[in-house]
Amino acid sequence: MAVDLGKMADLLIAGKVEDVSNMTQEAIDEGMNPKEILENGLIAGMDVVGQRFKACEMFIPEVLRSAKAMSSGMDKLRPLLSESDSRAAGSFVIGTVKGDLHDIGKNLVAMMFEGAGFKVVNLGIDLDTQVFVDAVKEHKPDLLGMSALLTTTMPRMGEVINALKEAGIRDQVKIMVGGAPVTEDFAQEIGADIYGANAASSVDKGREAVGK
Amino acid sequence: MESIMPDMQPMNQTVQETPQFRVLTEDQIEQIYFAALDVLERVGSRVHEDEALELFRNSNEAVVSDDKRVRVPASLVERALKSYPRKITLQGRNGKRSVALQKDHVYFGTGSDLPFTYDRKTGERRRTTYKDVTDAARIVDALPNFDFFMSHGIVSDVPNPQTYDRHQFMAMLEGCTKPMVVTSVDGEGLEDLWKMACLFQGGEEEFRLSPMFVAYIEPISPLTNDRSAVEKLLFAAEKGIPAMYTPCPSSGATAPATIAGMLVQSLAETLLAAVMCYLKKPGMPLIMGGVTTVMDMRTTTYSYGAPEMSLASAANTDISKWLNLLMFSTGGCSDSKWLDEQAAIESTLSLLTAFLSGANLVHDVGYIDSGVNASLESLVMNDEIIGMVRQVGKGIRTDEEGLALKVINEAGPGGEFVTRDHTYEHWRDWFLPRFMDRSDWETWNSEGCKTMSDRVNEETQRILDTYEPQPIDDATRKGLKEIIDAAEKRHSQ
Repeated sequence: MAVDLGKMADLLIAGKVEDVSNMTQEAIDEGMNPKEILENGLIAGMDVVGQRFKACEMFIPEVLRSAKAMSSGMDKLRPLLSESDSRAAGSFVIGTVKGDLHDIGKNLVAMMFEGAGFKVVNLGIDLDTQVFVDAVKEHKPDLLGMSALLTTTMPRMGEVINALKEAGIRDQVKIMVGGAPVTEDFAQEIGADIYGANAASSVDKGREAVGK
Repeated sequence: MESIMPDMQPMNQTVQETPQFRVLTEDQIEQIYFAALDVLERVGSRVHEDEALELFRNSNEAVVSDDKRVRVPASLVERALKSYPRKITLQGRNGKRSVALQKDHVYFGTGSDLPFTYDRKTGERRRTTYKDVTDAARIVDALPNFDFFMSHGIVSDVPNPQTYDRHQFMAMLEGCTKPMVVTSVDGEGLEDLWKMACLFQGGEEEFRLSPMFVAYIEPISPLTNDRSAVEKLLFAAEKGIPAMYTPCPSSGATAPATIAGMLVQSLAETLLAAVMCYLKKPGMPLIMGGVTTVMDMRTTTYSYGAPEMSLASAANTDISKWLNLLMFSTGGCSDSKWLDEQAAIESTLSLLTAFLSGANLVHDVGYIDSGVNASLESLVMNDEIIGMVRQVGKGIRTDEEGLALKVINEAGPGGEFVTRDHTYEHWRDWFLPRFMDRSDWETWNSEGCKTMSDRVNEETQRILDTYEPQPIDDATRKGLKEIIDAAEKRHSQ
């Protein structure tokens, strides 16, 4: 019997991490097309999660559980997908700038992006400018996210953008900035492409910018 | 006055001077305390500052791992806890000793460092400036129910973000004579602010006896201490500057989703600081803190209006009293973007709860937009709420004068009380509203149908137009400028 991808999507919406993982494996074992599993199972489920979150029918802990289910399925699928398919939604590198040890907001954004099917590299906190530059060179992400909670560390985001320019790789990547004191104006001022006001809208804007 | 009560001394009487409010029993507090000790022994806390790590290593009791994780045995924590004062008297720059921090004495003040302000002329949201902080300072100086001042906003129109704190403190001093709670960039920043305060007080020794400010410092939940926070704490310990080390966990995100769990973690963060200061120099005036609230699961906002914040903060105050530590708590704040019904409701709930809990310094009064946006009108509105809350705290006297048998007898059936001496003497005990409207509809209508926000707006404007705080004398001003200029010079190199 063929694996029911609609059911997989439902399990993902319900946050059943293990079930989604097992079902993905079953589908693979049955010889189903990995790209089809990804699109009609995992991503289809996450699309519903996204809609329900916006409608206030699902909340962050539930969304993140579904995102975890999505990742568990992706772990099985990734080796089988072509490079372009595994980056289906896009790739995202994110970190908190130098001098700032605040972690949670940035992690939430990272998790939400994972849930949206992005390939995410979370660099951590208190990062030297060079770490961002190196990460862009190494991972060649579609999107780079930076976060700061303190007004004293906010200017570091501009420094990273300048360093990317100097390295000649600024145009390879879309840059998103966020954090409590950051505004749309500030984002423009330092030459970022996207201002992420909160985790959910960051994902929306990120998807849009990447155009996938 | 001749007594008309029967002449008898009743036995087994219990009266209470004020209402009683408590969230946790002693047994529950102990459960939380022992759990926090367990966290410090097993999980520990990460400290990103070398001097502090050295202090912990040299204690020969704390264990420092290679990943900068510090674990502390209960015996050391308990020794440290015995070293903190139960009383701190703060004075303003005018020399008035107006804030006597001791058990169950409650004082109200603003929060600090709001990045944005609604421009009163254009109505637009913009970055907070030096003048905004001075305006907030004047408002707080003028309002009767505010006891201490934090900067409300963060000054953004300064030459260098690394020295903003000196300018901000100057803006605060320009407008306000009341005791303060200050924020600083790092240890060096705090040192400058302390030197500035010592100019008013005539030196370090006087500052130690009756400090002009408390330093606000915070760890990063969960269980992380960054370099600048620890620097400030150690400097405060060395100089005897009162400081609060106030965890800001958001339940469900940077702390457990249960309030008890959040309190355990938050207390472990506080106790780590208590040990750190003790190892540096026993006896500094450390104040317990905690902005303990939930992360909103729809928006990820760190909520300043959640009822859980009030409940957890009151419980934290219960714990602080049991530990014989003074408490820095939170109230009068809101998640609303605008000074509206939501702001009034949330502010009132948290002010009342914080007041009844007996917390010592209740801060963040006037915050709107979850600690992002500043509103001067919010300060004025909250002043009225504090007045009402304090009235509830007055309790009810049931002595002979309070029971009023004599005047009930005098008035008799069908009589009146409005002309009685008893009324003349006691009606002043009541809360006298300034912005709460109790007029009849005709009067209200003929006076322009003003809403609460109209009245609050007018009072805000009136204070801004007319209020002049006691000026800073020229010699002191010159000294302040020298400290600020020197900081600028150091940081421009």
